[in-house]
Amino acid sequence: MLINQPLGPKKVVGTPIPRPDRNASVQTYIPEIAKGLAMTMAHFFRNTKEMALGQRNDPTIESISDGINCVSYPEQRRPYAERFRGVHRLTHRADGSPRCVACLCCSTACPAQCIHIEPAEYPVGDSRRGYERFPARFVIDELRCVFCGFCVEACPCDAIRMDTGIHAAPYDSREQFIFEKDLLMSFKGRDGSQLSENPRHEPGDPTHPGVTREHGGH
Amino acid sequence: MTFGTLFLLSLAKAFTVVVALSLNIAGLLTWVDRRQGAILQDRVGPERAVVWIPKRIAQGAVVGPAVLVAGGALALFFLSDAEGVTRTTRAVLFSHLAVFITWFTALVIAGRIKLRGVKNSFDRFIASVGDPRRIFYVGLMVHGAIFLSLGVLKGTPAGETLRDFLYGAGPFVFAFSALFGAGYAAQRFRHERAGFRLIGLLHPAADGLKTIFKEDFIPPGGDQFLHKLAPFVSFFPVLVLLGVVPFGDTLCFGSDEQGKIMLSKLLATVPRDGICPTSTLDAGSAVHAVRLQVLDFNVGILYFFAMAGTGVVGAALAGWASNNKYSLLGGLRAASQMISYEVTLGLTLVGSLMIYGTVRIDEMVRWQAENTWGIFVQPLAFFLFFAAAIAETKRIPFDIPEGESEIVAGYFTEYSGMKFAMFFFSEYVAVVTLAALTTAVFLGGWHLPFLERDGLHIMLGDKEIYAQPLSHGAIILIGVLAFVGKTVGLCILQLFIRWTLPRFRYDQLMKLGWRKILPASLVNVLATGLIILAIQSGGPAVQSLMAGAAQVTQWVIAVGGLVLTVWFVRFLLKPAEHRRVLASSSAQYAASMGGTRTARMGA
Repeated sequence: MLINQPLGPKKVVGTPIPRPDRNASVQTYIPEIAKGLAMTMAHFFRNTKEMALGQRNDPTIESISDGINCVSYPEQRRPYAERFRGVHRLTHRADGSPRCVACLCCSTACPAQCIHIEPAEYPVGDSRRGYERFPARFVIDELRCVFCGFCVEACPCDAIRMDTGIHAAPYDSREQFIFEKDLLMSFKGRDGSQLSENPRHEPGDPTHPGVTREHGGH
Repeated sequence: MTFGTLFLLSLAKAFTVVVALSLNIAGLLTWVDRRQGAILQDRVGPERAVVWIPKRIAQGAVVGPAVLVAGGALALFFLSDAEGVTRTTRAVLFSHLAVFITWFTALVIAGRIKLRGVKNSFDRFIASVGDPRRIFYVGLMVHGAIFLSLGVLKGTPAGETLRDFLYGAGPFVFAFSALFGAGYAAQRFRHERAGFRLIGLLHPAADGLKTIFKEDFIPPGGDQFLHKLAPFVSFFPVLVLLGVVPFGDTLCFGSDEQGKIMLSKLLATVPRDGICPTSTLDAGSAVHAVRLQVLDFNVGILYFFAMAGTGVVGAALAGWASNNKYSLLGGLRAASQMISYEVTLGLTLVGSLMIYGTVRIDEMVRWQAENTWGIFVQPLAFFLFFAAAIAETKRIPFDIPEGESEIVAGYFTEYSGMKFAMFFFSEYVAVVTLAALTTAVFLGGWHLPFLERDGLHIMLGDKEIYAQPLSHGAIILIGVLAFVGKTVGLCILQLFIRWTLPRFRYDQLMKLGWRKILPASLVNVLATGLIILAIQSGGPAVQSLMAGAAQVTQWVIAVGGLVLTVWFVRFLLKPAEHRRVLASSSAQYAASMGGTRTARMGA
């Protein structure tokens, strides 16, 4: 962007293309058809040959070359960027339970309102009871999801991620787009891990930073 | 010939024409059409249909036919002695087949190496050749060497030795190459199941099956009966049209003691002149001619036009019975267009009829075989006829009746499932039919340059520079293959036109039909008449000049065809050059990740 450019619409500089002459070759149509056919055939045979002989150019890194320059999805796929936001997954703790503490930050942050969480208390006697809750149901409607990543940003525990590298597959019915907790927990990240980067420090661990229940009686 | 035999023969011919020729080629064309659309629009195209076959069965399917073919060749060599013409024929046939299959297998393997990398020592050997075009050139040289040395040494003792050597070695090399190629292909199966895709040819078949089970919607306000009838009315004429087009030269059979035809006694050779040798000896040596066309009508091409004229009824009925304004518009357009171009279609052929002096299509082809192809005597008519034929099939650039951008889908808007497929398919069969007729009238039908009824005679002036007698069956087979090849070529040309040109406007279409092509065809008739008169009154000098010109055209076809083929194969084998241009950040990222990942579906 040039600094000294005046505001307002840019002046379009175009070269006027002259109308084709109405000479005999154009008006009889046959030479022009032959030219067009030659072009079509050249493209067709070259592309076919490159497909058959495995000479297709890579559509992402040789895209300026002649030949077929498109990603033929799903036979071919682009390498997705590191930060590609795919289908969600729920991270695990070391014992395999979901990292999620059902704080509802993600469903609050979600602009599409596609996350539904039913929080539940841990049963009496569980050491986590009173510290945190767990999601009894964690449902994402992938049809509503706009893949903005706000839920991942909002999560304080690194419990939800979008690093699976899967995009929402086309299904036959709307019910299949409603991903329940078990399904979301079965996905792996692109590096194959399912653990959270935010490990849990249980009370009593030397790494546990905060106030424990024992402090409460003083 | 009894009525039963006649009936069976006609049935066999009809089956050949309808199923083997028109339906199969039409199915192939749907594939070519979609493949073309896909490739021109940058997609892989229809390759999703797949049948998974266990590895062992797939290997068997690859090796089995090869074993059969190789075994057949060797059995022919060991079990039947051949003398004279047959021996020469077999020597030539098997030596060329052996050379062809050898270089073709090597080329295919070279292509596979490009796709999958070097896997074994033989791959290394093929890869060491480098440019695969070298394999093709060596193969061509060997073909040429066999052809020339047999021609030059003809009749000499050395020639006899060479012929006998080829007669012996040909089948063995052929069998070895076929088996080797099949074995190589079979050991390349690495997964437990092999996907049988047939380069995507299963796709039209899958679509056909799919349409049978699809919902068949009939608009409630429409005419139920006519709506059901219309697809059949439009499908019937295009199928019966091919009946009068001869797809090969006349077969000559011997007869049994009662003088009846014996289908097991195909004559070994036939003389050059006439159709079948006639003999007035005892009944046992009588010869029966079997024309390779379904309907032996003496009205020939007139039947063709009569039937083509009924094709319009189906479209008009469909448009009327659908109770839909778009359908009605499409039906009306189809009716007006087809009737308009019907006139031109007939008138363009009048010049050809004047020259050939017959309406029987097989006699037309015979005239072309004796003189020169129709495209050289009626060049203008060929273009006009081809244009009118494309208009008659209602395809781009004349697809006004379907005009997706204006009237949804024209006269078959309200059709679904198999009835739509019948309309769709009848269009493609019509393409095949008109291509077959064009081939028969303008491109010499089954005739190939210098191929006479008794073998190959390459003439230069009045001198025969190369002669290769061939058996009767081989000539007929080559002729049928030539006819099919020309037809398929014209069909593919029509598809290319379809993918190249934009649609005409309705007024342009009518103007072209009535004001340009029709007067041009009338002028063509006039000019043809004048030229015929001039030549007839020209005397022997002009006649010999015409004969010389006819021979020049044969040479042009032969040499041009060879050069084109070599050039085309050279073009196909040209190594691709790709420049890596990492212009964008996404391209740089993709390059660091090793480029676009290619994954076959389901594998």
